Amino acid sequence: MTDDETQTGQNLESPPGRRVLFVEDDETLAGEVMEELMGRGFLPFHEETGPAGLQAALTDTFDVMILDRMLPLMDGLAVVERMRTHNVRTPVLVLSALSAVDDRVSGLKAGGDDYLTKPFAMDELVARIEALLRRPNDTRATVLRAGSLEMDLIDRIVRRGEREIELLPREFRLLEYLMRRPDQVLTRAMLLEDVWHYRFVPQTNLVDVHIGKLRRKVDAPGETPLIQSIRGAGFMLRVTD
Amino acid sequence: MPGSCCVLQTDLFRTATFRLTLAVVAAMIGGMLLQFTVIFVELSQYETTRATALLERDAEILTRESPTRLEYMVRERATTELRVALNGAALFDSGFHFVAGDIKNWPDGLIIDGHVQRLWVHPPEDAPYEMRFLAERVAGDRVLVLARSFHLLSELHFVTRRAIMISIVPVVAFALLTGIILSHRALARVKTMHEAIDRIMEGDLHERLPAGRERDDLERLAGSVNRMLDRLEYLLDEIRDVGNDIAHDLRTPLSRVRARLERASSSPRDATYLTTVIEKATQDLDQCFLVITAILRIGEIENGRRRAGFGQVDMAELMDDVFDLYEPIAEAKGITLRVVHPVGLLSVTGDRDLLVEVLANLIDNAVKFTDADGEVTVSATRIADGVESGHVRLSVADNGIGIAENERDAVLGRFYRSDKSRHVPGSGLGLSLVSAILRLHGARLAIASAGHDPERPGALFEITFPLGDAGTVPGTNWRDNVLSAQGQTSGAMS
Repeated sequence: MTDDETQTGQNLESPPGRRVLFVEDDETLAGEVMEELMGRGFLPFHEETGPAGLQAALTDTFDVMILDRMLPLMDGLAVVERMRTHNVRTPVLVLSALSAVDDRVSGLKAGGDDYLTKPFAMDELVARIEALLRRPNDTRATVLRAGSLEMDLIDRIVRRGEREIELLPREFRLLEYLMRRPDQVLTRAMLLEDVWHYRFVPQTNLVDVHIGKLRRKVDAPGETPLIQSIRGAGFMLRVTD
Repeated sequence: MPGSCCVLQTDLFRTATFRLTLAVVAAMIGGMLLQFTVIFVELSQYETTRATALLERDAEILTRESPTRLEYMVRERATTELRVALNGAALFDSGFHFVAGDIKNWPDGLIIDGHVQRLWVHPPEDAPYEMRFLAERVAGDRVLVLARSFHLLSELHFVTRRAIMISIVPVVAFALLTGIILSHRALARVKTMHEAIDRIMEGDLHERLPAGRERDDLERLAGSVNRMLDRLEYLLDEIRDVGNDIAHDLRTPLSRVRARLERASSSPRDATYLTTVIEKATQDLDQCFLVITAILRIGEIENGRRRAGFGQVDMAELMDDVFDLYEPIAEAKGITLRVVHPVGLLSVTGDRDLLVEVLANLIDNAVKFTDADGEVTVSATRIADGVESGHVRLSVADNGIGIAENERDAVLGRFYRSDKSRHVPGSGLGLSLVSAILRLHGARLAIASAGHDPERPGALFEITFPLGDAGTVPGTNWRDNVLSAQGQTSGAMS
């Protein structure tokens, strides 16, 4: 890890009272996750079975849902499908003990918004919930701004203040992804999946090397570091103090 | 075992060999009976013809004699040559009154026509019997009566019947005995096979059935079963090895976790120390999960379900994508990563994500095992000539430490880590993932030395894809492709 590590994502202020519905049949895991979510300022609700989860999703309003794939009485995917047919648009993160890439695809096809394989780090789960809660900035904009950074998507020019930053295409893509999600914890898995579309576990610290290279260009000596490593979780483009 | 002899006895009569013997015995009895019937009929006919001929010849000779001489010859029949062919002769006058000879009364129903007739004789103090008679008029107004008994015929019948009895009984007994001996042998062979199978079922997988030199059907069957057992044993060994490897690979990080946690709980210090311990324990557990995930992935890929997602994958694009991902890390290590683009469009049928994983793993490996100032070259070509002309080949070459020739097959197996690579972190599953994915694609992976420098031989990984259409239909016998492809290179990789 580098010199500019901050504390974990817990320090990031989450608007209080964001309602999370967590449908999971394993009590121990559910208990741990509920504690963690409460500790991070969420308002979590727990259901154990598929029908109960569906009932809650249809009758109550939630900001985000975490849904286990394998649930008693009713499959997690069936719950998502039924929710979507009832026009419930709550973002859903599907959890699964299955590793199959096909399952990921079917999970997303059924109407899930993201897919996370068990076992997962708590930071990974929270980062993904945050990502679902904060949809990326307006995708139609041709110029992205984050703090002192400015990115022209048409001319492919990046500036930090007055300084123009020269980037390779892959670095440009990575920075664009970060600038669309400022002040948000982005895990290595999220970056690999979304920036490079790779869905496997690399054996080397690939993402760290890419971020390191980008950081050297974005954060010149003497400037406030914008790209920060979040210990145990991933990275963040911090633009607000 | 109590009662084993009786069990064996009933078993004996229930063998296929014994049933076959019984059928053969029945057929033999039938054949012999038929044969004897033919002999019997032939003999009877022969005797009948002979008797008729004898009577007629004698009658012809006698009728030519003078009345006085005829009477003399009839009277003295028992002493002349007539006794051989005839059992009786007599002369009667025209009123059927006895004149001379040993037939005292005129036989009932005898017609004087010179032909042989069969008539029943009823002697006053004896049981009636049948004889052949011939009556003919002779000179002197007399009637000559000749007779011949059936004695010889019945004797022939008796001899024939006795011959049947004498020959059938020992033949049948001999056949049955042979059958029992053969059945006993068959039973003994089957019994040894049963015992061998029992031992195998009890867990002794090295046991084999006695197959001899596979001369007969039973031995050939045993040979087939043995070959099946060889294959099963090989697969089981492989599974056990994999199981052992998994256990070993999980054991190391888990024992580290255990040691750390135990020490932390027995000597609680400040919060920072505990946090460090927990973090390290989590890292070790993550290492365990890495192994488990990789194993699940391999199993999933080997299941072969993913062929549904096959499409055309452009080689240049694939190489560029992976290059993009790995170039910074190669640069950080001072390694030059190069991509040699093919001339024109070059694509294969496959799953893009999985092929990215293959190439990423190979490049990852190459970068890991190449020192600074080294070079890793990725290239794709269409093979121009030779037996594999037209196939697409993807290669990754480095000039690092290389892979010793005797380790080349093993590195593709699960968990294998070369002696030279023990110090490099990793699950040891990367290359087995690669070979699992390539098997799914029907592609072949060969490992060679990249250069000739013995100090830095380098490793060359060459993937040869099957010809385009081989992979378009999901569910075609790709396993066969894989097996034959493997046969060309290693033979022991599966």
